[in-house]
Amino acid sequence: MSEPIRILISALGGEGGGVLASWLTDAALADGYAAQRTSVPGVAQRTGSTTYYVEMLRADGRAPVLSLAPTAGEVDLFIATELLEAGRLIQAGFVTPDRTTIIAPLRRVYAITEKIAMSDGRADSDLIMNAAKCFSKAHHIGDFGALADAANAQLNAVIFGLACRALALSPEACRTAIKLDGRAVEANLRGFEAGLAFDDEEKAPPETTAFEPAPAIFGAMIDALPQEARFNVRAGVERLVDFQGADHARLYLDRLERFALQREADGPFISELARCLAVRMSSEDVVRVAQLKLREARLARVRAEARARQGDIVRVIEFLKPGPNEILSILPAPLARGLLWFVRFAGLERAAIPMRVHTTGLWGFLQLSALASMRRIRPMSLRAAQEKAWIEDWLNLIEQALHKDPAAASEIVETAQLVRGYGDTWERGHANWRRIADEIIEPMLTGGQNEAHFADAVLQARLAAVADPDGNRLDAMIASLKQVADPVTA
Amino acid sequence: MAEISFKREIESLKLSDGDTFRGEGIIAVTKALLQSGVSYVGGYQGAPVGHLLDVLVEAKEEMQRLGVHVEPCMNEAAAAAMLGASVNYPIRGAVTWKSIVGTNVAADALSNLASPGVKGGALIIVGEDYGEGASVVQERTHAFALKSSIWLMDPRPELANIVRMVEKGFELSEASSTPVMLELRIRACHMFGSFETRANRAAPQSTAHRIPEPAPFEYMRLAHPPVTFIQETDKFKRRLPAAQDFIIEHELNETRGPQDGDIGIIVQGGLFNALNSRLHAAGLSDVFGDVALPVLVLNVTHPLAPRQIEQFCLGKKAVLIVEEGQPDYLEQAIGQILRKADLQTRIFGKDVLPMGGEYTQRVLGQGLAAFLRVNGRDCGALDSWLAAVAEHEENVRGMLAAPMPARPPGLCTGCPERPVFSAMKILKSEIGPTHVAADIGCHALATFAPFDQGNSILGYGMSLASAAAVSNTQARKPVSIMGDGGFWHNGLLTGVAGSVFNRNDGVLVIMNNGYSSATGAQDLPSSAPTSEGRGAGVDIEKTLRGMGVKAISRVRTYDIGRMIKTLREAILTPAKGLRVIIADGECQLARQRRIRPEIAKAVAAGERVVRTRFWVDPEICTGDHSCIRLSGCPSLTLKANEDPLRKDPVAHVNNDCVGCGVCGDVSHAAQLCPSFAQIDIVQNPKWFDRFREQWETKLIRFLSGDGKP
Repeated sequence: MSEPIRILISALGGEGGGVLASWLTDAALADGYAAQRTSVPGVAQRTGSTTYYVEMLRADGRAPVLSLAPTAGEVDLFIATELLEAGRLIQAGFVTPDRTTIIAPLRRVYAITEKIAMSDGRADSDLIMNAAKCFSKAHHIGDFGALADAANAQLNAVIFGLACRALALSPEACRTAIKLDGRAVEANLRGFEAGLAFDDEEKAPPETTAFEPAPAIFGAMIDALPQEARFNVRAGVERLVDFQGADHARLYLDRLERFALQREADGPFISELARCLAVRMSSEDVVRVAQLKLREARLARVRAEARARQGDIVRVIEFLKPGPNEILSILPAPLARGLLWFVRFAGLERAAIPMRVHTTGLWGFLQLSALASMRRIRPMSLRAAQEKAWIEDWLNLIEQALHKDPAAASEIVETAQLVRGYGDTWERGHANWRRIADEIIEPMLTGGQNEAHFADAVLQARLAAVADPDGNRLDAMIASLKQVADPVTA
Repeated sequence: MAEISFKREIESLKLSDGDTFRGEGIIAVTKALLQSGVSYVGGYQGAPVGHLLDVLVEAKEEMQRLGVHVEPCMNEAAAAAMLGASVNYPIRGAVTWKSIVGTNVAADALSNLASPGVKGGALIIVGEDYGEGASVVQERTHAFALKSSIWLMDPRPELANIVRMVEKGFELSEASSTPVMLELRIRACHMFGSFETRANRAAPQSTAHRIPEPAPFEYMRLAHPPVTFIQETDKFKRRLPAAQDFIIEHELNETRGPQDGDIGIIVQGGLFNALNSRLHAAGLSDVFGDVALPVLVLNVTHPLAPRQIEQFCLGKKAVLIVEEGQPDYLEQAIGQILRKADLQTRIFGKDVLPMGGEYTQRVLGQGLAAFLRVNGRDCGALDSWLAAVAEHEENVRGMLAAPMPARPPGLCTGCPERPVFSAMKILKSEIGPTHVAADIGCHALATFAPFDQGNSILGYGMSLASAAAVSNTQARKPVSIMGDGGFWHNGLLTGVAGSVFNRNDGVLVIMNNGYSSATGAQDLPSSAPTSEGRGAGVDIEKTLRGMGVKAISRVRTYDIGRMIKTLREAILTPAKGLRVIIADGECQLARQRRIRPEIAKAVAAGERVVRTRFWVDPEICTGDHSCIRLSGCPSLTLKANEDPLRKDPVAHVNNDCVGCGVCGDVSHAAQLCPSFAQIDIVQNPKWFDRFREQWETKLIRFLSGDGKP
């Protein structure tokens, strides 16, 4: 043999990439190869990327000179224990169509920059998968995490099984390697066999979201809306009946109907409007939070996620710290305004009561029930009035834009996503939205600014608003827009 | 107690004549030390050489049998000074640390060791932390070897060769009365391979056989004038030629390939395998390293033996020098040798290869191709490989235009240092930014997202010292972060004593997590004494009080509210002087390693055990991720939104959660959102748990009317 077989493993710290590399080396040695393994194992912290590199060669007793680092274009088997790691090394050129077999699980462990994004900062998994298929000679990509769970084993053992086949190592040598290592032998052997038997052709059934049908009384109103929108509308009606009641859902449908009658409003537009409007009409006030926390189905879900065993008792303790604004705004508007004035006068805006509420206990249940029962007077509350005013503003802007530039109207619909959350997040969202409405949408509607870029300006502003929590990007965006509109005074 | 157990490695250290060692490079070096009959070993932990010391610390019995004194030193200066035993006595010793930073710390002792020279072989094993995966400034250890006249080995990465170089290193050291450095790159330290062992050799003089009499007074053994002038002369008059003779006589450097040829390559030993792989691609070698053109492999990169270089270059029109890093010391030295010998061989090196950065195979391939082309050689296969790599790169860029998200290391799940940085970030939004002097250790990871903080890093334990002038020139007090590792390594004197002495203002946060965690949880003087560990339980607070620090607060790190309050007071107080906040919280990795087996045992035995973890209610989370921006915990991650009407992923706590509670406390402290819940899972509940559970459930069902609110 004149060329070694070269194996590159990319893992995250603490995931057993080193153990996998060690199994592979031991199995290769047992199969009569000369083998060398090395690594850049990262630091003790368990989150960064680590890579392991193995070369194996039938050397007939001579000592080969093997490489310590992988070479672009010369990797025969590339293993990733996580999909983004696969993407990163594909991007670095280690996976080539002439020789690389790739083994990668579908699972994602999100990187910190993906996690801290204010909206959706996740890397595009489909793109990585396509790249993996496109640039490799052969690929084995699947839900190996589920395979490992099913076998009650670790992911690296399952991958070892897949690698055994890809490298045509003898399964017996691999099993011996696991036994030689001596750690969690039974579980690792189970995982190994599961990987060894993995069939690429098996496809997981597509996930379906089951929905209870929307109340029948709304059937006719929903059917009057465009076909494309009905899924979202049904979900919206469902949500709003649960949130406040049938009247609230009727108001929702009336508002949608007002748009559906417009010539410029097509199916996708109504669908997206239905989605955003339903979310805004069920804004997360303390009453809603209490209502959601009291759901019985929640405990079953918690039990499952926490992997509680039969017979274990599960207690749920909520972390709540509503500020005066959140508490008082659920009171009837005039009363709430008066009390909030007092709070500001007394300088208590930042005062808040940290609470740990035992939802599974009687006292906690009573506390939350009391809050949830405020649902009946919610329509009179200050918060409801504020939400209503905002929704009307938003809908009016959409309607005006619809006649002028339907694409811009669609973008204004999307700006509703900026307004959400609790406390500071809610206030920041409102303030950002107000700036976009006042400084971009309104001027464009009245024709004072460069209207050709209306839709794009709204889109860019929305993205800028979620680019950083301090609003720096939005400031810069608005300033540059003014510069373009009026280079003299701006 | 170090991070991993070295049971198997310890067995491999006991192998005898003719046995086969299988294991990692750094353990092979450790075995080679024992085969060489060392009397003492010391060092300071750090990747990639830390395991050398960890394994010897754990191999107590074998060390006792061989009479080897093992000492985890307080810092690299202490380790280098430890070699002082070999100045006066003919005993062999080895020390180890991470270079370049460790060598910098050791510099004072190294100079004073190198000046008188040694009687017993003195070997310094340095982990050359350069290139991919490096965690320190990019400089070469070579500079220290040159300036202090210490010999430098850079062995070809094959275990048998590395082991031979360790053994020969001691002989070289003794033959030339000079300490020897042996540098190993990261991948060489972690390289798994095999070699044929010899039995360990007990030193004639050791902890088991003590030297009966101290050395007589001899001024020549002191690095002190007037003899320093004589010692300097001795370095180049006697020691250098002796070393050069030894290198040639014992064939420490290897000449490979044909004797003749009009071009050749001189390569640092550590880079030979990568070079061979590219020569192979060019059709000029094979997988066994049978090169088709002359190659001089320098297992010793300082000193060079001019005779050997001249001989190699004689009759060649060109040589390529493959030397990683800058400045180009070897190229300069070889150029001078050839010039003096009036040889007209043209030197290629940093002209066809880059001045800085790791010499990956692609980089080497490009340089090699250029060298061969200029010298009229065909390198068809190499060129087509390079072209294919470039073309592939273009294709990939076509599909994956944007760079993939980076994945820097971060603080572990449940890390006790995270809440301190969460507190600092929350406080920053309240009182505005402060100058933060960062340090070396796990806490340096707070320089990455989501904390993005730290104005300077000046070295291990240097944070407080680096803030000295800042504190006197800035309106607001700076905050210095230091780990307990950095505190004992250096910070106690350079920082705290200096600050007290100069009456500086400032805030020092000491992360008291109980171990040198970033290097693998080695014990420190302040570590709790345990049956297996080396911790001495030295109290940091008492130490500080003894030094005259008056304002000391101790805060449990997980108490974010108190941490914010303490930091706010310390920063804003008009009172003068150093204020120290000792942030107590055991390293979670070490803690989990300690308690997990205990808990599993208790659960299996049917004892009542409450397991706590955190949970985000996906219906209540609005997908803004403020909580992640204040935490960054690996177990606080994202999940696709199940709500068909909402798109952004929601926060999600996965099952790695250790229940430290920081995410919940952060949401409280920053008043974020009500979606966090603590989940207590009572395993093996007792009768009172069940009683309470049953009655509460019944009442709740009754009150809610069939459980529906």
